[in-house]
Amino acid sequence: MDTLYTLFIDPLTKIYFLKALAGGSIVAVVCAVTGCLVILQRMAFLGDALSHAMIAGVGAGYLFMKLVFGVEAAAGAMLVGSLISAFITVFMIGFVAKVSRIKEDASIGIMYTGVFAAGVVLVSVFGKYIHIDLMHFIMGDILGISDFDMVVSAIVAAAVLSVIILFFRYFKITSFDPVMAASIGIPVLLFKYVFTGCVSLIVVSAVSMVGVILVVGLLITPAATAYLLTDRLEKMMALAALFGFTSILGGLYLSVWLNSAGGGAVMLFATLQFLAVLIFAPRYGLLADWQRRRNMVPQTVIEDIIASMYKSAKPVSEGDVAKYVQTKPKMLRNAMKSLTEEGLISGSDIYELTDRGRTEAMRLKKAHRVWETYLHYMGVPDSELHKKAHILEHYNDLESIDYIHGKMGYPETDPHGAKIPPVYSDGSFCLTAVYGFSDKDVEIVSVETDKGLEAGDVVRITHTDGGWSAEKDGKRIPLTEAEVESMTVRFLS
Amino acid sequence: MVSSDYAIQVRNLTVSYGPKPALLDVSFMIQKGELVGIIGPNGAGKSTLMKAMLGFVKRDIGDVLVFGKPVEQCRGAIAYVPQRGTVDWDFPVTVADVAMMGRYGHLKWWYNPSKKDTEIVDRCLEMVRMSDFKKRQIGQLSGGQQQRVFMARALAQGAQILLLDEPFAGVDAATESAILDVLAEAKKAGITLVVVHHDLATASEYFDKLLLVKQRLYAAGPPSLVFRQELLSEVYEGRLKVFTDLLKG
Repeated sequence: MDTLYTLFIDPLTKIYFLKALAGGSIVAVVCAVTGCLVILQRMAFLGDALSHAMIAGVGAGYLFMKLVFGVEAAAGAMLVGSLISAFITVFMIGFVAKVSRIKEDASIGIMYTGVFAAGVVLVSVFGKYIHIDLMHFIMGDILGISDFDMVVSAIVAAAVLSVIILFFRYFKITSFDPVMAASIGIPVLLFKYVFTGCVSLIVVSAVSMVGVILVVGLLITPAATAYLLTDRLEKMMALAALFGFTSILGGLYLSVWLNSAGGGAVMLFATLQFLAVLIFAPRYGLLADWQRRRNMVPQTVIEDIIASMYKSAKPVSEGDVAKYVQTKPKMLRNAMKSLTEEGLISGSDIYELTDRGRTEAMRLKKAHRVWETYLHYMGVPDSELHKKAHILEHYNDLESIDYIHGKMGYPETDPHGAKIPPVYSDGSFCLTAVYGFSDKDVEIVSVETDKGLEAGDVVRITHTDGGWSAEKDGKRIPLTEAEVESMTVRFLS
Repeated sequence: MVSSDYAIQVRNLTVSYGPKPALLDVSFMIQKGELVGIIGPNGAGKSTLMKAMLGFVKRDIGDVLVFGKPVEQCRGAIAYVPQRGTVDWDFPVTVADVAMMGRYGHLKWWYNPSKKDTEIVDRCLEMVRMSDFKKRQIGQLSGGQQQRVFMARALAQGAQILLLDEPFAGVDAATESAILDVLAEAKKAGITLVVVHHDLATASEYFDKLLLVKQRLYAAGPPSLVFRQELLSEVYEGRLKVFTDLLKG
């Protein structure tokens, strides 16, 4: 009990901890919410650029107040200075990208390091006047947060959150489809500037807590964590805010327990949190993905099942299929389920191929026999033909099969003398090719006859001992053997 | 708003970004309910023409009238359906969210969508047969379904003119025919459709009327009129053979 108290409750009794928690949470929540839009607009690097550029503004603001008014470390002036330098940087990035062949990513790299360097030089040259701890600036000091910083962050947070909530729809649509947004009269460019302004504000207010280097993490990581968990922007923002808060809470405890720098601990915790979600997220997580892959039925198993059912030519049970198809029982069950869903087989316990299943089987059979013939042409010994064709039959895209078939001059039989079923690349087939074909509605794809049937007609085909006939618009038309041979049909979709 | 027999009238339009105008003295009229294809080689100004019809580009001279009114006064009268490749399909929005965006132009910024807006969105999703997918994230749809969602958004916008940017680019045959079905339905509902299209082989089959553009308007009218060898070979210089084959059919 005592240990628990020391670990969890004791820090809460310390003023510095509570202040850090409150100030940090305010900043983290608004960072996270804004960060959602930042990552969706692919502007992650911008946060980095803005935070680095700030130092020039801070230095210039400090120097200005000191030299002009003799005021030491005027926080307000430093804040305004950093906003100005942030805006200048954003402007310069856009300007260079626009007027030269330098692309935006390189332009960002040039400008933010340039402005950052200017700041560093400024601070060290005027070291006599400016008392800025560069280390503090770079690493931040969440545990020593000042009241002024706290007030500034609270105001900034309130302002930025209000803007985002009030204009949520517009930020959503300008991020998603700016052209459409412009076409309904939304000022896309204005919203872009407003948004950049918002990002600058929160970056500036967050730097004093987590420092230049880590601020971009606070902006991106909680938002990215939320992105893995939801498919709606509203929920993503809410979750991101939550993760922003937990990052601060968990990070602060971590820093107390390990006696480490506050900013570092916060970002470490945020990153661990992200990695945990990356692994365990129900839909977009690695585990879920792995599970999905494991349960996915390979196409080869599906095709082997169809082929074995066609061969048996009578209804079969799952056990019968298992004898022919080498796979795990669970996989087989999944396969039967997905075959039923796709309408290729029907029944429960005892299964049967449907019409579509039978044409699919024919397609496989054709692939198998075409490959077998091809292998024979290639000089593969007969004893290995079947085994190799059994693997190759899964490469059964009909157009490719037609090509191979054609290259050999469309042989009608395979090396064993078995007929290659006439199934064509558009999914049509010859009536005589399907075993026991009768009483089916089909669409005619091609036919040579003068009995008033033509391609595109939907007819009902019947096959009795008396021969073939097609029923069109309620009229029965008997067909000769030659006409049946010339006819290809397709199942109605 | 409907005050003219023509959905879109473009009169003597010239747009330039440099010394060589992107569009030069282009004039044409599109009647209500027509299905029109804009064709032309890469860099011919098809997308500039599209932007001009949306009122996005600065015109040097000329007018674009939508239902008889200047395009600037008709924000939202033309609904834009983006090219597939430009959409971020991982964006966290659902089918219903996207369709609702069609209503944004009608909403005051401080109001939430009303019941009426939701009804309109539902009806439009019904029209494109996407009601069953309302809660689906847009990346988890087939190509044809994705196109239908954007059609629903355009319909929800209440627009009488739809402008589609290369809807057939990079889609498979099944999707292509699904999109054609949606176009046919929209046409039946009296909506004017303007489609930027790159595939000459299918252009004459898909559209009532074609605009052949390469800086200038080379021809406008039914495909049989536009698909003339001398015209095509002038516009698509150097790739003549393909078209001779095409014309032979």
